[in-house]
Amino acid sequence: MRRMLNLIQNENMKIYHQMSTYIMLGLMIVVVIAGGFISTNGGPGQQATTNSDWRTELTEQNTNLQETLKGIQSQGIAVESAQIEKLIKTNNYRLEHNLPPEYGVWGFVTEFSVLVDLVSLFVIIIAAGIVAGEFNTGTIKLLLIRPIKRWKVLLSKYIAVLWFAFVALILLFVATFVVGGIFHSFNGLNQPYLGYKNGNVTEINMLWHIFINYAYACVNLLMMVTFAFMISAVFRNNTLAVGISLFLMFTGNLLVGLLSNYSWVKYILFANINLTVYTDGTPVVKGMTMTFSLMVLAVYFIVFNLISWYVFMKRDVAT
Amino acid sequence: MQTKPVAQFKNIKKRIGSKLIIDDISFEVNAGEIFGFLGPNGAGKTTTIRMLFGLISISEGEISVNGFSITDDFEKAIAGMGGIVENPEMYKYLTGYQNLVHYARMYGNLTKERIDEVVALVGLEQRIKDKVKTYSLGMRQRLGLAQAILHKPSLIVLDEPTNGLDPAGIHEFRMHLRQLAEKENVAVLVSSHLLGEMELMCDRIGIIQNGKLVDIQTVNDFLAKDEVVMRVTFTVDDVIKAKACLNKLYKDQDTIVKETSISILMDTVRIPDIVTAFVHEEIRVSGIDKETQTLEDKFLKITGGSGIA
Ligand SMILES: Nc1ncnc2c1ncn2[C@@H]1O[C@H](COP(=O)(O)OP(=O)(O)OP(=O)(O)O)[C@@H](O)[C@H]1O
Ligand SMILES: [Mg+2]
Repeated sequence: MRRMLNLIQNENMKIYHQMSTYIMLGLMIVVVIAGGFISTNGGPGQQATTNSDWRTELTEQNTNLQETLKGIQSQGIAVESAQIEKLIKTNNYRLEHNLPPEYGVWGFVTEFSVLVDLVSLFVIIIAAGIVAGEFNTGTIKLLLIRPIKRWKVLLSKYIAVLWFAFVALILLFVATFVVGGIFHSFNGLNQPYLGYKNGNVTEINMLWHIFINYAYACVNLLMMVTFAFMISAVFRNNTLAVGISLFLMFTGNLLVGLLSNYSWVKYILFANINLTVYTDGTPVVKGMTMTFSLMVLAVYFIVFNLISWYVFMKRDVAT
Repeated sequence: MQTKPVAQFKNIKKRIGSKLIIDDISFEVNAGEIFGFLGPNGAGKTTTIRMLFGLISISEGEISVNGFSITDDFEKAIAGMGGIVENPEMYKYLTGYQNLVHYARMYGNLTKERIDEVVALVGLEQRIKDKVKTYSLGMRQRLGLAQAILHKPSLIVLDEPTNGLDPAGIHEFRMHLRQLAEKENVAVLVSSHLLGEMELMCDRIGIIQNGKLVDIQTVNDFLAKDEVVMRVTFTVDDVIKAKACLNKLYKDQDTIVKETSISILMDTVRIPDIVTAFVHEEIRVSGIDKETQTLEDKFLKITGGSGIA
């Protein structure tokens, strides 16, 4: 156990002494700051900034929505009417409980939680390099001639990658919080998030809501990073590992779309990677459930890790 | 001196694809000795060392270190070994010191004092806090030696270690190894194709060629002082007459004729006879040189002087 901690410490030392790591993290902060500027100049933050007339505004909005709803219902489009109903009910809830729709710091943090995908990209790069890099430079030889089993070395690398993901996510959260607060305001820190379930508006703790947002996005991160790690361990080539992983990440949904007529599409990783469809949307194939997707993901996760482990254990190291 | 075998190679074979790269190699490296692994490029030195370190699988046979099989008891066997395989590849973006800390952590119980001690031993104090990317090849070799001896292994394995070292560095390096072998009873396995170096450094030498261990001898036997047939050079005033004279005595032997000397491969016992014959023919002899065979001659003789197979 102590030895394992030492190994992870070593991997961390290697990650955090490389220039590229800081370039990536710096880039992320630059993107967040740029987001801050954009959101105050005509972005969503601008429109939604609170003014004292929010009550009249919401009431007006609701009367308009009611009319559209009537029009739609006569045509019988169920999906859209549900969306509008949700908006009306949320607005009513705000009026009843005196909760002004404030964008503020939380609005910014929530909106920019999409940058978890950028974090995924960076973690994929780290995962791709952490095994293959040692082969490229030949350092793998001096690493594996120690009284430590190979799988422990591999595990320490995997843990270090996940730890880097954690650090980068914390940094993303802190950066969006600070930038959001500066560009908008730190007001309304206690305001809840208004969720909507079975036709009822519910108050959800804002931090919890953001955490859940991050967590959903992290499913994609975890799967793609594990995949990149596997490619890295199997092909020992970081460019290849980054390339294949990013290619799949960007074309995965397209692929699922193209194959959506086949029933087996539901077994494809990318058909299951977006779990938000089960809370807020429609699954790729009718009848797919959260449990089903979690099981498919678990199978992929285990297979990816088994392949990395097996290849790393067995292969001759002749660089 | 103890002759306890530290590393044992038993009928080792290595196949890559259908090619037999190592063909039935057996030898032992004993505590307190420096064993030289000598062979031309592509002979299989690095491959053998990789198998010893468990980096590649062994197709047939067994390698054990301190009695532990590298395949079945990897952790125990490798704990007693340190070394370099091919080039001393370190993390270039870390300092020399951080590199050593990195390896020290993998043994768990090494102190900061031990790291400092090793740094001083290889003479890197001045540059140890600099990034490895700023090091010269010789400095990287020194760092490589430092990481190899960090945990006081009973077997040190070095693949072409003097590559990149300056003459002073080579000398110093040889002294380190001799000291480790003699004072601390460490077994050392060094590979090289530099013959002179092996001659100075090693106690025993194994010659490997085309994946086969052709010969193992002690350096002293190797240089066989009691060798009788050698190249003898006579400095004479009339080489034409001398050649004719020698041709009469040794019909099939080639002579090498130079301006003032003639040489021939012959039994040294017969030198006085030749001198008498020369005197008889009124050839004035002003010098006689015996050329001891060097390791190089021996090596070329054993390996048939062939290049890369
Ligand atoms: N991965 C491999 N696949 C096929 N052949 C290989 C492989 N690795 C080594 N060889 C072959 O094995 C033989 C021995 O190579 P090795 O590197 O052990 O030689 P060496 O004695 O260390 O040579 P050098 O003095 O040049 O370092 C060579 O003929 C080489 O071509
Ligand atoms: Mg070699």
